[in-house]
Amino acid sequence: MISDFFHPNVGGVENHIFMLSANLIRRGHKVIVITHSHPPDRVGVRWLLPGLKVYYIPFPAIASSATLPNYFMFLPYFRVIIAREHIHLIHAHASLSSLGQEAILHAHHLGVRTVFTDHSLFGFEDAASILTNKLLAAALKNVDAVICVSHTGRENTVLRGQLFEMSEDSSALVVRPNVYVIPNALVAEQFTPATKPVSSETIYIVVLSRLAYRKGIDLLVATAPRICSAFPNVNFIVGGDGPKLNDLLQVRERHLLQDRIELLGPVRHRDVRDVLVRGSIFLNTSLTESFGIAILEAACAGLYVVSTRVGGVPEILPRDMISFAKPEEDDLIRALSEAVAIVSKGQHDPLEAHQKVKNFYNWGEVAERTEIVYDAVVKSEQKDLWTRMQRTMELGPFAGPIYTIILVVDCLFFLFLEWLMPRHDLDFVQMHWEHHNFRHVVQ
Amino acid sequence: MSSEADGWNKVLWERQPFPDNYIHPHSFLSSLRRNPNFKPYTYWPLVLLCCAITQHLATIFTFLAVFVRLKERWLDARVLLWVSIVSFFGGYAMYEILSYSNPVRGAFTRSNTIKSSLLVFLALMGLSPVLRTLTAATSSDSIWALSACLFFLNALLADYSSMKPLRQERLTSVLSMNAAISSSVVLASRLPDDLAVFALVLFAVQLFALFPILRHQLQVTPQVAQILFTLTLCVLSFALTLPLSVSVAYLYAGISITVTFVAPGVLVWAQKYKNEIRGPWDVAVPRLN
Repeated sequence: MISDFFHPNVGGVENHIFMLSANLIRRGHKVIVITHSHPPDRVGVRWLLPGLKVYYIPFPAIASSATLPNYFMFLPYFRVIIAREHIHLIHAHASLSSLGQEAILHAHHLGVRTVFTDHSLFGFEDAASILTNKLLAAALKNVDAVICVSHTGRENTVLRGQLFEMSEDSSALVVRPNVYVIPNALVAEQFTPATKPVSSETIYIVVLSRLAYRKGIDLLVATAPRICSAFPNVNFIVGGDGPKLNDLLQVRERHLLQDRIELLGPVRHRDVRDVLVRGSIFLNTSLTESFGIAILEAACAGLYVVSTRVGGVPEILPRDMISFAKPEEDDLIRALSEAVAIVSKGQHDPLEAHQKVKNFYNWGEVAERTEIVYDAVVKSEQKDLWTRMQRTMELGPFAGPIYTIILVVDCLFFLFLEWLMPRHDLDFVQMHWEHHNFRHVVQ
Repeated sequence: MSSEADGWNKVLWERQPFPDNYIHPHSFLSSLRRNPNFKPYTYWPLVLLCCAITQHLATIFTFLAVFVRLKERWLDARVLLWVSIVSFFGGYAMYEILSYSNPVRGAFTRSNTIKSSLLVFLALMGLSPVLRTLTAATSSDSIWALSACLFFLNALLADYSSMKPLRQERLTSVLSMNAAISSSVVLASRLPDDLAVFALVLFAVQLFALFPILRHQLQVTPQVAQILFTLTLCVLSFALTLPLSVSVAYLYAGISITVTFVAPGVLVWAQKYKNEIRGPWDVAVPRLN
C-alpha cells in the first residue's frame, strides 16, 4: 500500500488503508505500507498491529499531508524497498497522493503490478482540478486496475482520468474493463446503538462534521432556527470545529437557542460513538460526498439519517433508513420534518438498523473483493515498454510527449541505479511477522 | 434506486450478482449533462459589445497623441486645460441626462460630486510641481517601457461589462484605473513645465477614471448611438495620431479592426470546442431563502 495519507494522521483514507491491510493480512497475505515521514521523529521503519510494516520515507509534506509531485526522487527508495520485501503488487490510494502516482510510474521496472484506488470526487472547472486531472490521466494510462468507492465515484474517475479505450472492433470508445467498484466499510462493533433507549420526549438531532463551507454548514445555520421553532421537542447536538463555527454561534445567539443547540467542539474519533448514541436523527448537509462514511457510522449506531442528495450518498443506504433532501433550505426542512415524524412514531428501530448495516458493510468482504481484483491483475499480461510509451503518447499533443520523456528518463535512472546499487548488494528481508509462528512460539 | 432490466441496482449496500467491474450500459454516465448552460454567441451582438474595448483603446491612443504634442510644445497647456474643464462639464451633463432613464443607486449626490471634483482639481494643481520632478533620475527609455506596460495592463484589466456594478467595484477594474493613472503620472514627469504636467494629469484622470463611468451608461443607449460614438472616437484618435507617426497610426488602426471584427469571429468559431461537464459529482450550490 502506498499513499501519502496514513497514520499518525486520522482520516477516511488512512483508516481505509489500515483496515484493508489488516484484513488482507488476516487472509494470509503479506502487506507493507509506504508513506512519508512526520516530523519530528516518525521516520524509518515501524510496525503496527497486526503485523503491518510501515516505511516512513523522509519526504517533507507541504499541505495537509501531501508531498510535492517529484517524479524521480522516490525511485531509489521504491526500488530498494520493493526489491528487498519481494513485493508482487502495489496498491496506491488517493488521487492527491503524489507518492502513489509515482509508484505507479516506477512499478513496471521491477515487474510489479499496480492497482489504484480513488476515494474522492473532483470537479472539472477550476484550475486546481484541471491540473490534478491531467496528472491523474497520465498516471492511470498504464495502471492495471482502478477501484472506486461508489458508482458515482467510478463515473467521476472515468471522466477525469479518461479511462476510455477503443473497443475490439475499433468502432467506439468504451470504458476500460478493469475499473471496479468496491465500497468502503466500517467496523460495526465500534458503533453499537445505545443499550437503553433514548427518551422519546425530546428528539436530538446530531450533526458531526468539520464546520466548513463544503459540508453545507450554511444550510444547517438556515434550517436550525426554523426546526427549533416548528418542533418544540427537538434539540440539536453539533460536534466539530472549523471556520464556520462563528456562524453557528451567531445564529444561536440571534434566536436565543442556547439551550436547544449544544456545541461540543472538536470530537475525537473514539468519542464519536458516545456522541452519536445520544441522538435519534443524524443530519448531514454536505454539498459533496463521494461515499459518506460518517452517515454509515451514524446508521450503524442506530440513528435515522437525513442527508442532502449529493455525490455517492444515494447509493449507500436503503430508502427506509435515510431521508434525502435537495441542498435547499425548504427541502431540508421537509426532510427533517419527515424524519422527526418517523422517529416520534417509533417506526425506526435502532437495533435492527445496526444489524442491517453490519450485514451490508464489513471489512472482510471488502478484502475478499479486493483480492479478486488482485487476482485478475496478477493473471493479466504485463504491458511492455513500447506499449506503455505508445499509450502515454495518446494523452495529447503537449502532455503526451512530456510524459513519455518522463517515462524514458525514469527508465534510464533505473538503469543507473541498478549499476550504482546492484541487486545482489541489497539487504533482502528474510523474515516477516507471521501470526501462526507467533502463536506457535507463545503456546 | 430504480432497478434495471437485468436486475442491476445502483446501490452499494447490496452485494449484486454481477462482478465488480460490471458497467451497466444504460445507466453509466446517464446523469452526465454536457453544456447545460450553453447559450451560443452570435457574431454581430458580440461586435457591438466589443465597441467598449475599441472606445477604450481610442482613449488610450488619444491620450498618447496629446502627450506627444505637449512634449514637443505643439499644443499649449492652457488649451488642454480648457478642453478638460469643458469636457468635464459636458460629460457630466450627458451622464445626468442618461441616468434620468435608468437611475443608478448610489450615495453620490450632486453636491458631493462637485465638492470632490473641486478637491481633485485643487490637489492636482498643488501636486504638479512635485510630479514634474518625480522621475528625474530615470532615463526616458525606461519611462516609455514602463508606461507601455502599464497601459497594456490597463487595457487588459479594464471593466468592459455593460452593467454598472452596484456593489463594490471588482479588484481588476480598480487595478486597471491605477495602472492608467500611474502611467500618465510617469509620462507627465517628462514634461517641461508645471502647467503642462497639471493639464496632462487632469486630462488623464478624466479619461481613465471618469470616462469609464460614462461609458457604462452609454452602453444602454440604442445601438446606433453607440456605433456612432465609437466611430467618432476612433476617427478622432486616428486623426490625432496620424501626423505624429504614420506607422503607429496604422498599427493602431490594425489593432482596432482586429479587436472589433476578427476577435469576435474567433470566439464564435471556438464555441464548438466548448465542453462543460456537469453531473452528480459537482459541489452543490446551497439555495437559502
